[in-house]
Amino acid sequence: MNASLVELAEVTKVFPMGDSEVRALAGVNFAIASSEYVGVMGPSGSGKTTLMDILGCLSRPSAGTYRFEGRGVDELDDRELAELRGGRIGFVFQTFNLLPRLTAVENVELPMLYRGVARNERRRRATELLAHMGLGDRASHRPGELSGGQRQRVAIARALANRPSLILADEPTGNLDTVTGDSILDLIDELHRGGQTIVLVTHDQHVAERVERVVRLRDGLVESDERRR
Amino acid sequence: MLSVTIRQALETMRLHRLWTILTISGIVWGTASVVLLVGWGVGVHGMVDGGMQKIGKNLVYLIPGRVSEDLSPADERRELSFELEDARVLRASARHIDLMSAEMQDFMYAAYGTSSHLVDVRGVEPQMMELRGVTIAEGRWISPKDVSLERRVAVIGQTARERLLGRHPPVGQHIELNGQSFEVIGSLARVGAQLSRDETLLDEQIWIPITTARNLTGRKNLNLIVARPPNRNSNDQLKLEARRILAKRMHVSPEDEEAIQVISFIDYLSGFDAVFAAFNAFLTVLAITTLVIGGIGVMNMMLVSVNERRREIALQIAVGARRSQVIGQFLVETLAITMIGGVAGTTLGMLACTALSMIHGDLIPTPHIIPGIVVLALGSTMAVGVVSGCVPAWRASAIDPAETLRSA
Repeated sequence: MNASLVELAEVTKVFPMGDSEVRALAGVNFAIASSEYVGVMGPSGSGKTTLMDILGCLSRPSAGTYRFEGRGVDELDDRELAELRGGRIGFVFQTFNLLPRLTAVENVELPMLYRGVARNERRRRATELLAHMGLGDRASHRPGELSGGQRQRVAIARALANRPSLILADEPTGNLDTVTGDSILDLIDELHRGGQTIVLVTHDQHVAERVERVVRLRDGLVESDERRR
Repeated sequence: MLSVTIRQALETMRLHRLWTILTISGIVWGTASVVLLVGWGVGVHGMVDGGMQKIGKNLVYLIPGRVSEDLSPADERRELSFELEDARVLRASARHIDLMSAEMQDFMYAAYGTSSHLVDVRGVEPQMMELRGVTIAEGRWISPKDVSLERRVAVIGQTARERLLGRHPPVGQHIELNGQSFEVIGSLARVGAQLSRDETLLDEQIWIPITTARNLTGRKNLNLIVARPPNRNSNDQLKLEARRILAKRMHVSPEDEEAIQVISFIDYLSGFDAVFAAFNAFLTVLAITTLVIGGIGVMNMMLVSVNERRREIALQIAVGARRSQVIGQFLVETLAITMIGGVAGTTLGMLACTALSMIHGDLIPTPHIIPGIVVLALGSTMAVGVVSGCVPAWRASAIDPAETLRSA
């Protein structure tokens, strides 16, 4: 196995809850190498989402260290964190999270906008990605005018915009019917075949069949970590 | 980036239409009123100034009075009188008098043909034309020779001309003043509405050489001496110097303000200046208060907007927006909304100024568009926009993306 892309060591996350606190993560250890296709599973409340937020630098661990491409995320300032979120990581959400007032192509351009990519280059790259997702003719539609599957394709295109080294997909098919969901998963599989590192959260055993490695969480701890292929 | 932000600003305004109308009209009202009211205030000031100055610019009246009770027993209070010789001495020795003329005033019966009127007749020296700032409409003005030869010639004001001569051309006509025949040598151009006068308006008067007037009435004492300093700043020096010279000739104390009375129009006008400065300051404070209230409205609207868009903001942070970019976005958005109001209000104020200035009339003030005030109005709108954008922008940047994106 080559050098780790991400590395978690004794990561805990504690949320204050009134007078007491909730331990969402209770000391998680694992690493993901480049080009791996990892599924994260576990019952609700097991800490899947919290883990994804930490991997995506949307929140910081309460304790422990998280290293991304060898750098401790703890030491990064707001600007560097934003750079990491926008440039190195692509997030795909269950609820798509597209900006309703922007067109499909503008939504895809968004991460490039914040990185200061030139206007023409932005438009070119976004159009290319949408075409690749089979949405070439939907570029100027707003999310409200697209189906669920189409929206998720736009979201995936957005996640890919800055050529990230890690794609985090949090229940990407959770809001889609089975047929549409399968087509989205096919798309993600294809990204993996192209060498993309992917972490996929799911509670669906059927979905988990597709990945190479399954990490199971329970009560904020890694219960099992098995490689399939 | 900027176009997206401005589109978002317009979208926010569309979503909160009623709120937008209310807050923006506050800002429109604030800026429009400051531009219009201050401009109008300056117009009123100009009108008062002009009206006051129609009797002559920067004049000082020197009027003989009585010795003050403080300086002499009550039963010995002496009445002073100025004569032409006093005026001559004053003219010869004063250094702060640019121009001066003695004046005698009498109401006389003026007759022409069958018409006869009681007219305010002024005996003046040639300098009086420039002092009063009047111009000749027809014929000529009283010359030094008219004065030295005590000629029976008259220059006639427009209203007096209409009353006495009707449609007859004035120059060359002979009129009678107190039974003596005078040749009309000229008529004055119409002066118009005056906000200050002594007894009658200039247009109603007939002017004759002062020496002729002295002979006609048989009295020697002048009613007053009109003087003008070389500039506004030497007004006080003129007053002191003239009183000192005249007091010496009259054998009274130069401190006796009742003996030699000095009336300065510049002093009157500076009184008005203070009133108008206070008026303008009041208007400005009023308008800025309106702007601040409008700013609070905008801030509220933006806070609501931030709250509604929490998810979007969280998403923006998730795809790489820095906190400073989020702050910038909301500041620009707030600024765009306030500036729409500010520009609209300023334009409205300037349009109102222009529209009102099209109404002509002597006693209707003309509002002025004052560039400084326009800049001030836009500048304070901008300041209000930035200040009221701070809190919403900070709120937006403090959003926790993880928590917000997960909440349903």
